[in-house]
Amino acid sequence: MAAEIKNPFQGTGGRRIVERGIERSLLISGTVAVIVVFFIILYLFRDAYPAFRNIGLGKILTGMKWNPAGEPPSYGAYPLIVGTVLVTLGAMAFSIPLGIGSAIFISEISPSRLKTGFKFLTELLSGIPSVVYGFFGLVIMTNWLRIAFDQPTGESWLAGSILLGIMALPTIISVSEDAISSVPTDYKEASLAVGATRWQTIRRVVVPSALSGITAAIILGMGRAIGETMAVMMVTGNAAILPEPIMNVFSPIRTITGTLGIEMGEVAAGSSHYHALFALAVILFIIVLLVNSSALFILMKLSERFRPSGKKSLFQIPKIVAPLLKKVLWGAVALLVVYYAYVRGGTRGGLEAVVLLAFSLALLTFLARKSSPRQGQKIVFSAISGSMAVVMVLLGVILYYIVVKGIPAISWDFLTQPPRDLGRAGGIFPAIMGTLYLIGGAMLIAIPPGVGAGIYLSEYAREGKITRLIRAGIDNLNGTPSIVFGLFGFAFLVLYLDLGISLLAGMITLGFMVLPTIVRTTEEAVKSVPQSMREASLAVGATKWQTIRRVVVPPAAPGVITGVILSVGRAAGETAPIIFTAVVFSQRFLPHSPMEPVMALPYHLFVLTTSVPDSLHNAYGTALVLLIVVLMIYAAATVIRLRYRRTVRR
Amino acid sequence: MNKDITRDGKANGSSQSVITTQDVNLWYGATHALLDITMEIKTNNVTALIGPSGCGKSTLIRVFDRMNDIIDGCRIEGKVYFRGKNIYDPDVDVIEIRKRIGMIFQKPNPFPMSVYDNVAYGPKVHGITARSHLDEIVEKSLRLAALWNEVEDRLDQSAIGLSGGQQQRLCIARALAVEPEVILMDEPTSALDPIATAKIEDLITDLRKQYTVVIVTHNMQQAARISDFTGFMYLGKLIEFGRTVQIFERPGQELTENYITGRFG
Repeated sequence: MAAEIKNPFQGTGGRRIVERGIERSLLISGTVAVIVVFFIILYLFRDAYPAFRNIGLGKILTGMKWNPAGEPPSYGAYPLIVGTVLVTLGAMAFSIPLGIGSAIFISEISPSRLKTGFKFLTELLSGIPSVVYGFFGLVIMTNWLRIAFDQPTGESWLAGSILLGIMALPTIISVSEDAISSVPTDYKEASLAVGATRWQTIRRVVVPSALSGITAAIILGMGRAIGETMAVMMVTGNAAILPEPIMNVFSPIRTITGTLGIEMGEVAAGSSHYHALFALAVILFIIVLLVNSSALFILMKLSERFRPSGKKSLFQIPKIVAPLLKKVLWGAVALLVVYYAYVRGGTRGGLEAVVLLAFSLALLTFLARKSSPRQGQKIVFSAISGSMAVVMVLLGVILYYIVVKGIPAISWDFLTQPPRDLGRAGGIFPAIMGTLYLIGGAMLIAIPPGVGAGIYLSEYAREGKITRLIRAGIDNLNGTPSIVFGLFGFAFLVLYLDLGISLLAGMITLGFMVLPTIVRTTEEAVKSVPQSMREASLAVGATKWQTIRRVVVPPAAPGVITGVILSVGRAAGETAPIIFTAVVFSQRFLPHSPMEPVMALPYHLFVLTTSVPDSLHNAYGTALVLLIVVLMIYAAATVIRLRYRRTVRR
Repeated sequence: MNKDITRDGKANGSSQSVITTQDVNLWYGATHALLDITMEIKTNNVTALIGPSGCGKSTLIRVFDRMNDIIDGCRIEGKVYFRGKNIYDPDVDVIEIRKRIGMIFQKPNPFPMSVYDNVAYGPKVHGITARSHLDEIVEKSLRLAALWNEVEDRLDQSAIGLSGGQQQRLCIARALAVEPEVILMDEPTSALDPIATAKIEDLITDLRKQYTVVIVTHNMQQAARISDFTGFMYLGKLIEFGRTVQIFERPGQELTENYITGRFG
């Protein structure tokens, strides 16, 4: 029957070639992204290997002394690892309650016309570059801490934790808020319809449904805190010691990232110190990897059980975990109270405040439970609103100092002149241009393979072991601390490829750093387009590429653009990746070729703050300009995004 | 009349068949979802597929325009002839198939674009760019879908603002705009209220003059009201296939009778 008839459905050869060509080129960009990911990981291990071989992994992990300048040098990373853990825990102790409270406030309590405002302000908090946080911390906050707690210095574990906590807040708030807001209205209506209060609905329906997203938010915030370099390095005092006693929050402390940031610039390539630093980077990488993978694992388990189509009930998890979690929490609080009441005999300052906070929280929960649902709601809602207020005050204080003290420094000459007298006088024009060059180049390098790989992963790649491996690799690189990219750039681009400290090396390093973010946000945005849209398009005979281009990409574009914007902002404010690859402190002229080094705003601010006495006036000016540059990028991109959305929705 | 349709769906009636399947088997991973389906779809008729949830009727209808291609782990064996050509042959371009066999989904799925752009989408992806030509197609399709009068003055507004029934008719217009020969409908009224359902049913009755319609439905009365042929499916098998009148009045199988009379399902 079929044999006699000429095939009427052959299609045109041209269309097939186009389709195949597009799939190939997307595959290639995906491959590039993946190769970059694995290459960075491999390269780190390669340069760390001699240290593991010569010193031994055990000695590095358990050695109590980090003294590379000693005779003989000792490379014990234990104090650094403990330092990293302590600073992160301290940061989480207050950013988790504040962050989740604020997220609930924005999505469930805030009047809807104020919602955008709060979200914008939270995003503003994440737009502040880490070096600006460090600047604020060093110049303002450590002083406050020193005076308030009557300590010899404010540069301490506590200062690092506060700063990191603030920096983790926007991540925790915005990711949790997304998760909470995306709980279907049906659930809420169903709960309210049976007479539950708003708080009951939030606690029993909304938060449990959003739990996986909230967990992800916390982990992401934690990842950010662990990997942060500049801010931590500037306020923790950097003494490679264990706090004495271990809970002494006023002790100076040194993190792994801080060590890398301080020592990498001065190390002789190929020396045992050099390899030891790479070993540290590998340890840092593995810590972050463990944190991320455990989070991913929890998320996976959660989402399995939470899927409404699953056999298990929707809210089973909290029922199992919540009592356990409660017991652990109460146990921890009780232990702390006992410890402070009896062992330390009520010494001044510090953790007492934390204990007090935990205590008042507990009291609040108790009150809320004992009172009627309505009163309970009032109490809880005021606590939640309070956490939002705290976040806003933190933002206000930081912005106030930067803006009020920065404005007097800014003048036409400041913006258009090169620096003089080690940056105490003159302007910052080469630094502004250098930053723009760096991010421009980084985007040119990262966007094509990043977006291509994202689309490929979502639309073409078959789900299987390899795709999962690729996604895991990209995810892990996504959470990788920026200083690790800096190390890679230094070792591979600057030394091995002999690019030297140059604009090009900086662009590539920054480009690699933002690549995973672009891949994953593109993939997520593209994936979130409902399958029914694709089916509708395919059903009228559109090709796969036509479907992607006309139906899938337009609604996903705002999401993709958001991802790109976030990475541009991040790249503009980053110091750690360019500190060893691209920047010099002072240069009178703009670079003539990509092979020359440049100045950059974040690095300029860093050096002024830490190494040039009496340059505070210009440091404030630089901080303000950097802040404005970053915020302008966000603003411009937000405008593009909104306009795009409007034309698509019509 | 009794003799011209046998149980396996081979009809010897006067009208020509447009789609013929031969021993179609389909697996989702390890799940055997369709078993040895052999049937014929007649030109300019409405063919209904009925059966309890999970019986494979939606899977079967998606076999006809290869929509199952986009599901990972889906494997199909057997032959599906459309106009005499097996559409699963390697030299067949699935795009051509979907152009000539349109599909309407269970939930209305208009794109988040204007009414006009929704209908013009198909012609545009198939290379029609002249505005006047598109205008013509859009109007014609919307008229065919009995929606023109309701949306005439809001063509440039978002399709998301239409009611559910209007959205579904818009989806039908979108399918008609590429001038298919067959329209597959996968429970097109299950998300709609009775009034909107009635409108769609009227529309289907009109459409059969020009098109061949295959409809999956949950609603037996609907099948009885609008279809010329009915297939009853159960656990991935086509239990019985024949003229609707015969299936509903003198079912040949006990299983069919039990289902139709509401003893299960």
